Formats: sequence, structure tokens, C-alpha cells
Amino acid sequence: MPFDPKTLDSSMKALAAYDWSGDAAPLGAIDAAVVAAHDDAQLAADLEGRLAAMVASDASRAAKEYACRKLAMIGTTVSVPALAARLGDADDSHMARFALERMQIPEAAEALRQAVDSLTGDLRIGMLSSLAARRDTASVARCAALLAADAKTAVAAAGALGRIATPEAAKALATAHVASGPVAEAIVDARIACADAFLARGARDEARTIFEAIAAEAGEAPATRRARAVRIAARSGILAALDDTASR
Amino acid sequence: MPVLPTRRAFLTASSTVAAATVAAPYIITSKALGDGVTPPASDRIVMGGIGLGNQGSSDQGRFLKHPDVQYVAVSDVRTTWRESARDRVDAAYGSKGCAAYLDFRDLLARDDIDAVHIATPDHWHAIMTIAACRAGKDIYLQKPETLTLREGPLMLEAARRYGRVVSGGSQRVLEDYRDIVDPCWSGELGRITSIDIDAGASSMPCYLPAMDAPADIDWDLWLGPAPWEPYNPGRCDGNFGTAGNSWRSYIDYSGGRLTDWGAHNFGGLVFAAGLLDHQPSSVVWHPADGSHAAYATLVYPNGVEVHCDRPEALRPSGTAATVSHGRGITIRGDGQAAAPRSVPSYRGRDGIYGDFIECVKTRQRPFRDLEGAINTLTAPHMLGLVRRLERSLEWDRATQQFVNDDEANRLLDRARREPWML
Repeated sequence: MPFDPKTLDSSMKALAAYDWSGDAAPLGAIDAAVVAAHDDAQLAADLEGRLAAMVASDASRAAKEYACRKLAMIGTTVSVPALAARLGDADDSHMARFALERMQIPEAAEALRQAVDSLTGDLRIGMLSSLAARRDTASVARCAALLAADAKTAVAAAGALGRIATPEAAKALATAHVASGPVAEAIVDARIACADAFLARGARDEARTIFEAIAAEAGEAPATRRARAVRIAARSGILAALDDTASR
Repeated sequence: MPVLPTRRAFLTASSTVAAATVAAPYIITSKALGDGVTPPASDRIVMGGIGLGNQGSSDQGRFLKHPDVQYVAVSDVRTTWRESARDRVDAAYGSKGCAAYLDFRDLLARDDIDAVHIATPDHWHAIMTIAACRAGKDIYLQKPETLTLREGPLMLEAARRYGRVVSGGSQRVLEDYRDIVDPCWSGELGRITSIDIDAGASSMPCYLPAMDAPADIDWDLWLGPAPWEPYNPGRCDGNFGTAGNSWRSYIDYSGGRLTDWGAHNFGGLVFAAGLLDHQPSSVVWHPADGSHAAYATLVYPNGVEVHCDRPEALRPSGTAATVSHGRGITIRGDGQAAAPRSVPSYRGRDGIYGDFIECVKTRQRPFRDLEGAINTLTAPHMLGLVRRLERSLEWDRATQQFVNDDEANRLLDRARREPWML
């Protein structure tokens, strides 16, 4: 639908009152404004200001959720403070991340990192998930420290390190001392992910070192389906590291 | 979570004394021992199912009938569906051996299960597929295999890394589109030049009102990685419609008819036209101009153009080398006869289900291998984004990014609700 500037005020007013019931049609005008904002910097700034104000307001969860969805597309540094302030709220945290995770600006990453330091439980795991998706190299030390946290958090931290996959991340995973259980499995998965990333970057020797270590450990593991899958990953990884024509 | 002896553990501990100690008596049926047609249980592929609604129950029925399958467990967030699915297994085997799990992770934790079929809403596909790969399971994954463009490479990476057989779940690609596949593969159409397809509607935001969730469904687990939204039966109904009364209608859970039927329709198209290994390099947006509605053109690296929803008046007429399929696909070639190629087919027996089972046994790539499925779905996913942004996009396959379009790249994926992550 084409954007009509005259409808923006009334649409934002309708959004403020929206609570998963009633007429959602006015929201379509905001959708159209987001599309039009791509070629209209003034409209983009106006729209972002209104949406960020909505996130910071006492509007309904549904209204704030909608605003976060739009900020995921057009948000800039302007909306980071409003979004960051919602990261600790159990109702709004995910949708604030929904916007921040996709905003490729340093301020968004920093907001997520700081939330790792201040939050606990599932909300903190959410931050790790978003930093993993961003492959945020500045989060390695935070993630490494959380390998010693509760099991659920440690699994998420290991997963994040596997996605970030820098040499520092691989080192943190290799030196974690977890003998068995879900955290140990997550660490192995993450080490393999690091080795694959090294392979993709042409760091064959570093990749091979990791794969060989995992193959040796897997050789001693019980013959479960999981252990066999890990052995396959490690051994095929060794072959790929030895032969640049090989692939999984 | 029920505590049941695993099938293999049970068969290994074969004393009748041990058998008498389990709470639910296990009847050693003729099928369990092998009856000449059915292999003995110890030689069968041990399977479980995740998501046993409309399509999941259909898939379950096909696997249950397969002589090389021993079906042992189900998982669904709806009690009624879960228990019905369990009862179907027990009825089929004349036993009480099927376990039923609320949480799919409990099913994946069973070491005796070789393979799973997954037929949940699309927002679960990537997380479950990657978890199953890590657990060493092979996977039959219902289409559309992905919800976002970013998920595909991560799923494929897991499948290849852990050496898993992962078959997509479009049975129609090979079975419904022979009227366009055969002329293309026989060479009679010559080099494919352009294609038209009626692509289907995109999914939409869901504004259904809040209702109390019934006790039958674990609503939080149904939503999983998707944004929290209040329960409404129209939000989560598993029917095949896409007009607002099903999860297939809504953007948090599905790409709409564009990817749901699109997995079949684009699947048939790319298979016929030999595009299965390719991804579009750009999508050109043609805005409405007063005389015609908006449409888009996917451009493949080999020059083939796929016009999506192009108005009839703009389509060429009188092209001699043309084949059409009844679901809105027209393929045009240059008419210069090309060398014929033999059309690949399923392995094993019983269509795409048998193909999967045969590949689990032989470790071959299935007909709808995950890589081809992901490439196929790249087309409707990109089309959905272009419709949303109303502008043309250029795709860099190597980096899996749109070129010089930050806003489009933000739509490659979505943050997952805690504690779920890829």
C-alpha cells in the first residue's frame, strides 16, 4: 500500500492503543512508511523517533513489540538507548533484541554486551544468542567466563564461542574443563565449529589440530550415535584439512 | 518424560525374566522377529516423529507402513495429538512400546533412535534439524525446510559436518511436475531462457485477539523461538490454508503460500530447469505502473529469468518451445534441441519416504537433499523480501548477503526468543 504522510499521526495513535485486539488496519500505514523511509531520510528519522518513543513509553506489550519489529529494519543509534533499556524486562527483552541483533552498528553490540554483564538466566542466554548471531568478536572473554556458569548458560556460551570462532574463542573452548554432560557436548560442537571456520579461512594447520584432538577424545567415548557423529565430524575435518580438494 | 526401556536395550536383555519386570508388557510380534517380508527389528531403521499434526501424521503413516522402519517414539506439544500419534504406532505394531514426549529434546536424547521426521511449523525447523544432526540422527524434514535465508547454510553445515542424511519433504517435486520436467530433461525445449510462475501470497503479520490457551497445548513450547504472542486457535491451527486461520498464514511461523506451496512449485520449476544447484543472483522489482500490478523477476547466474506473478499482458506470446504446468508455471526454451539427460528418481520403494529410508541405509544423498532444498527456497525467500521492501536486490551467494542493502540484510534472519538459539 502506498504511504500517505497524512495518516502517520493517526496510525501512531492507533498503535499506542493496540493490544492484540481491535482494528490493526492503521498499522499497515506504518508498514508503508517504513518502506517509503528507505528513500526519505527525513521520514526515516521522524519514524524512528516515534517508534523509539513508543518502546520507551508505557504502551502495551503489543504496541512495543510492533515498534521493535519496525526498528529491526530502520533502527539507528537513535533508538539504541530505548531498546537497551528494555533488555532486562522479561516481557520486552526478546523484541528489543529482535531489533538490536539486526542493527549492524557498534552501539547495538555494546548494548547487548553490557546486558550480558547485568542479566542472569534466560534473558542473559538471549543476549548470548544475539551476540552469537552477530559473531561479535568482542564478546569472547564474556562468553568464556560463562563456560563455568550454570549448565544452561554454559551451553549457550559455548554455542556463541563456536559461532564467533576466533582463535581466542577456540582457545577458551579448548581450555575449559568439563568432563561430561550437555556442557561438554556443547563445547565439542563449538570446537568443531571453530575448526570448520578455520578451514574456511584457510588456517588448515590450526583446524587440523582441533580436529585431531577431538578425534582422539571421541575414540575413547562410548559408541553412541552422538559419539559416532562427532567422530565423523572430526575425521572428515582432518581429511579436509589435509587435502584442499576434500570437503564434507 | 516417560522412562521406558529402549528397543535395542530391551531386545538385548532378552530374558523372559527381564521382560516380566517392565510395567508395560512387550509382545514379541511376528514383525519384531521378521516375517520374511519385514526385516527383523534389529535390522530396521528406528524412527521417531516430531510434530504430529496434519502433515506429521501423514508422514508418520507412511513411515509406519515401511517394512524397514521400527517406529518407537513421538513428540508433540499438544497432548491430544501426541497421544493419538502414540496410539497409532501401538495399534500398528500391536504393542504398547511407543513413547510419547512433550519436549522434542527428550526424543532426540534417545540413543536407539536412528532417524526422525519433523513436521512442526517452520519456525522450529532449523533448531530441531541442527539439534538432531548433533545427536547423530538422520532427518526427514517437511517442507518448507527453512523460514529465513540465514538458516539454510547453518542447517546444511550441521548436516554435512556430522555426516547426516537430511531429506526435504516435498513429495510433489518429482511426482507432480513431469509435464514440465520431461520436456526439459529430454532436450526438446533446448536451452531454458525464461519462466513464469504464479508464486503465491506471502505470509502476513498476525493481529488475532488474545484467548486463553487450552490445557491441551504447551503454548510456550509451541511458540519456541518465535516472538511471544497470545494464544489464538487461528494462529496455531495446522490446516493447509494461508488466508488467516492457520500458522501457515503468519510471518513468525511461515513464509505463507509463497514458501509452503512454493517449496513444491519452485521445487518443480528449478528441478525441471536444471537450477537446483543455483541461487538467484538478483531480484528485479517491477512496481505497479497503473496498467499492471507489481511483479518481480528472479535472475539466475546462467541468465535464466523467472518472472513471478508477471501480468498476463506482459508475457510473450507465440513462443514455439514452451511447456506449462497447471499450477501456474510456464517454461520457455530456445527450441534448439539439446542433448537428453536421464531424469533422476527416488531410491528404494514408496516414493520420497522410501528414498529417505534407502539413503539412511546406504548413506547416499536423497532425492531432495537439503542443499537442493535450500537452494530452491532461496528463490521464494528473496521474492518475499523484495515484495516487502518494494525494491530490487542483488545477492552475493558467496557471502550470503545482499549487496549494498543493509536493510535487506537485516531481514536475512530474526532474533530467537530466549532460551532458544541456533
